[in-house]
Amino acid sequence: MKSLSFFIILFSFLGWNIVSSKDILAEKNYIEEEVTDGGNIVGSVKYMGDLAMLKLDLYGGWELTDTSKNASEKLIASRINNGLKYAVISITNIAKGKKRLIPKTHPIIDQQRSNFIPHVIAILAGTTIDILNGDEELHTVHTRTIKNQPFNLGTTYRQRISRKFDYPEIIKLSCDIHKHAYAWIVILDNPYFDITDRNGYFEICDIPAGTYKLNVWHEELGNIEKEVTVYPKKITNVGFVYSQN
Amino acid sequence: MKPKVLLDKVGLWSATVVASTALILGVAPMTAKAINVPTAVTEDGKNTYKKYCSPCHGEEGKGDGPLARSMLPKPRDFTRGAYKFRTTPSGSLPTDEDIFRTISYGVPNSTMIPWDILTEQQRASIIPVLKSFSEAFEVRKPEPPVNVGLEIRPSEKSLAEGKKIYEEKLECWKCHGVEGRGDGPSAAEQEDDFGFPIKPFDFTTGKFKGGNSDRDVYLRFTTGLNGTPMPSFAKELTDEQRWCLTHYVMSLIKPEETCK
Repeated sequence: MKSLSFFIILFSFLGWNIVSSKDILAEKNYIEEEVTDGGNIVGSVKYMGDLAMLKLDLYGGWELTDTSKNASEKLIASRINNGLKYAVISITNIAKGKKRLIPKTHPIIDQQRSNFIPHVIAILAGTTIDILNGDEELHTVHTRTIKNQPFNLGTTYRQRISRKFDYPEIIKLSCDIHKHAYAWIVILDNPYFDITDRNGYFEICDIPAGTYKLNVWHEELGNIEKEVTVYPKKITNVGFVYSQN
Repeated sequence: MKPKVLLDKVGLWSATVVASTALILGVAPMTAKAINVPTAVTEDGKNTYKKYCSPCHGEEGKGDGPLARSMLPKPRDFTRGAYKFRTTPSGSLPTDEDIFRTISYGVPNSTMIPWDILTEQQRASIIPVLKSFSEAFEVRKPEPPVNVGLEIRPSEKSLAEGKKIYEEKLECWKCHGVEGRGDGPSAAEQEDDFGFPIKPFDFTTGKFKGGNSDRDVYLRFTTGLNGTPMPSFAKELTDEQRWCLTHYVMSLIKPEETCK
């Protein structure tokens, strides 16, 4: 009898542990379920501003310094259809949906020629990111966060730093030695998000039918929000446009 | 057993007990210098903070007190939970002892004086007040302090090794300058997490902000200084290399300039 009660206590304790650890990791308002007849959102983000300055070759083909070569990554738009690269689209008010799959292979941010590649990365809360150094010189990786553990580490050639991000936040990752170099890590609490490609296109799949708020974040141009209705097994088209002012 | 032998035995045992009690009592305050840090914010702590700390650090701990304007380096903004001088790894929150140490010893080369004019109890009572300013302390817990390895002796070999790290491997000179005067090529553009300009440390002054012992300097490379561009090199350097760098940095102190 004694041993039985001991085991009951032990298992209840273990069970409580599992429950509580899940509580910390998963967003409390988000319920995971199988989505069988979900709809998709497909669309594009455009920047209708003046990009002439970025392409103007003031140096007439002369070799530029690294700093001026790298400076333009904060606003990249396609010449063909004005599609905006590196905008993060996410559904902000979804209560339940597909499983939060945390990738087992860690996403990578590399530092090459004193620049972070990719410039913007969007991940699910709880994902671990590997930060590499591909240059044969010293870099630092520095974040300034409050909820996620901040860090500031010196890295030399071939160093690999793994960090886990547990809370939704937009983090700027920078190198203090090369002031122009920085990257953005956008951490989101549900799996419905995407980053636009170089033509400004994005796609979010398997969304349960309903009306949602769709949010676009871009580091230079800020946020845009739109309401979108998703129908089962149908594709909804959405277009976002950033005008110059 | 004869009564005399018994008496001897009792005497021996009682002497041992008395001696060991005395030893324990005597040693205890030395080893575990018990600072009683209250777990919650106390009225005493609030008053002490308001009277002695808030003129610079601000009533809400934002580092914006009425005297802060004229200061550089700026008083610490506690809302981010970024503390420079810690024994915990980079980015981690400080332990209570770390905060207590900084309050007690102050920060040389800045306007933070050693607050040993306050009683130990008063200093300890401020700690929960500082923690209450930042939500970081609610979400995260300080990580365990880093392991300080066995110190190696400063020798010509270790100094040469330290110099190599300083000049080639980590390129410390880029900010701190070749002679350690804080005048490297990247020195001018550095700023801290709060957007204020910050000067790389001038080693020649010899007044290290986090303390002057070898161990303190060693800890700065290992833990980094949160909230500043100074990173942690815990992953980059082995324990021995960090000691070499410590000795090299200490060798950059120019006493004749400091005495002025």
